[in-house]
Amino acid sequence: MAQAQISHQPKTFLSRIRKSTQEAFWGYVFILPAMLIIIAFKLVPLVVGLGISFTDWNLLSSPEFIGLQNYARLFTDPVSPIVFKNTFYYSLISVPLNLLISLGLAIALNQKIKGLAFFRTAYYIPVVTASVAVSAVWVWLLSDFGIINQLLNAIGVASVNFLQDPKYALTSITLVDVWKNLGFNVVIFLAALQDVPDELRDAARVDGANERRIFRHVTLPLITPSIFFTAVMGVIGSLQAFDLVFNMSLKHEGGPARATSTIGFYIWQNAFKYSKMGYAAALSFALMAILLVLTIIQWKMRSKWVYGEK
Amino acid sequence: MSTNTLHNRSARRKSSMSKVLAYALLTLGAVVMLVPFLWMLSTSLKDQAQLFAWPPNWLPNPVTWTNYSEVMGKIKFGLYGFNTLKITLAVTLGRLLFCSMAGYAFARMKFPGKDFLFVMTLATMMISSQITLIPNFIIMRTLGLVNTHLGVILPQLADGFGIFLMRQFFLTFPFELEDAASLDGCNPLMFYWKILIPNSKPILATLAVMTFQGVWNDFLWPLVMLTSPGKRTLAVALSYLVGQYTTRWEIQMAGSVLTVLPVIILFFLLQKYFVQSIKMSGLKG
Repeated sequence: MAQAQISHQPKTFLSRIRKSTQEAFWGYVFILPAMLIIIAFKLVPLVVGLGISFTDWNLLSSPEFIGLQNYARLFTDPVSPIVFKNTFYYSLISVPLNLLISLGLAIALNQKIKGLAFFRTAYYIPVVTASVAVSAVWVWLLSDFGIINQLLNAIGVASVNFLQDPKYALTSITLVDVWKNLGFNVVIFLAALQDVPDELRDAARVDGANERRIFRHVTLPLITPSIFFTAVMGVIGSLQAFDLVFNMSLKHEGGPARATSTIGFYIWQNAFKYSKMGYAAALSFALMAILLVLTIIQWKMRSKWVYGEK
Repeated sequence: MSTNTLHNRSARRKSSMSKVLAYALLTLGAVVMLVPFLWMLSTSLKDQAQLFAWPPNWLPNPVTWTNYSEVMGKIKFGLYGFNTLKITLAVTLGRLLFCSMAGYAFARMKFPGKDFLFVMTLATMMISSQITLIPNFIIMRTLGLVNTHLGVILPQLADGFGIFLMRQFFLTFPFELEDAASLDGCNPLMFYWKILIPNSKPILATLAVMTFQGVWNDFLWPLVMLTSPGKRTLAVALSYLVGQYTTRWEIQMAGSVLTVLPVIILFFLLQKYFVQSIKMSGLKG
């Protein structure tokens, strides 16, 4: 009511001030709940986590300040190089493989195909499926007497111990990750491909370009922003791999013989199995630093290959 | 003329070849994606004697329902389903409310510090859950909220992406709306509730399905927060079930089906919004 009166009055200096303070008041009221949550559980944790990373703390006694020792331990702990290596392997396999397969499927889907909705749904179902259930079914499929080994035996190949053999365990889990997350990129790429104007392709065709050249020089450059986005998201996601690793390794030990322990898994293990809160926090900050550096590198490099970012 | 038709014909043959190739690739892809689900469902309806048959029996004979009654009864998946639904609905409703409120203020109001707060909100999207896991657990421990559903819900009630999504949408309404509304004596609260929200159903549905699916499937946070068995969510309970019933694949698969079914049903009902939510997440890039 008060506001209505103000807007009928001639705009005096006072009424304008009153109006803007009133608007500011409402603005703060509307952002307050969300800001409280974000500050309390996104920003404060950064400070708290950094603090914890300077301590030796098992949750039972009070935390003891030990300076940078947890960070120094990153370089002396015999396990940390293994988990970093495993994590980079996971990323290096899953991100490019996911991009290639999902791009291939999206291109196929873009051929004015019948049953597009069916195919898109089929690819997307694993994305909305709980990772624990995905792990359970793949552990069953890949188990000693599971259907995949039965199939191998039927064609005369000896059983492979996919998840218990250190040679195959991490690769198997990485491929399940690709299987699970493929559909997300398919939808992104399909949307991008559908946005490429037909006129551009037709013009190239009139100029005598063949389909391969059209794809290489017209379509591909126009979808590079989507490739960039999915690559960045893929790297960020895969470097934090936890759910599948946790649930697909026997007794949640990140084994066999550390073969499937990722940084994310090792953070959980230190914090909630070994009660080494300080070291776990230091590991998580090391992970954040890596994520930040890689994202910045990708961001800087995008002007070299992403369309419209020159 | 004749070379032209020849050219057309070979082009047409080429395009039908590429169509065949496309269908072959897509079908292969669909089989690889769907077979694990069919095998999950099929296994869940078998008794142990049928598990390792070769060639595999896709249609269980006899169909065994006892796996489900064991999972629902002795393994208490009914309770875990209820816990999961409670947490998921609370987070979804809270996030819709708080993100739309903040999105409205960021899109259509003037107040000191707005730009700073908005950039800060966007920056929090970069902070991953692995970083906040330990400190948030410690914060919850200090607040006495470990092993409570409230503790699981609270940190998820607002997120940068949801706020960003709502702000972008609210920016698309004409700004004359406010003038007209304030002439009618409408304050910002009424404007938000009577004008913005009723006209934002598609975007709210998109944010809702995105959140619902994410929270329903969430694993790490409820795993560390919910220490007593009765409080567990389906995802956490399923993980324990798998650890406990190691070679009882039929039980594991029944638990898996029960865990994934609600989201898959929701997905089929609201597929449009799911697809929209993925395209929207592309906005970030």
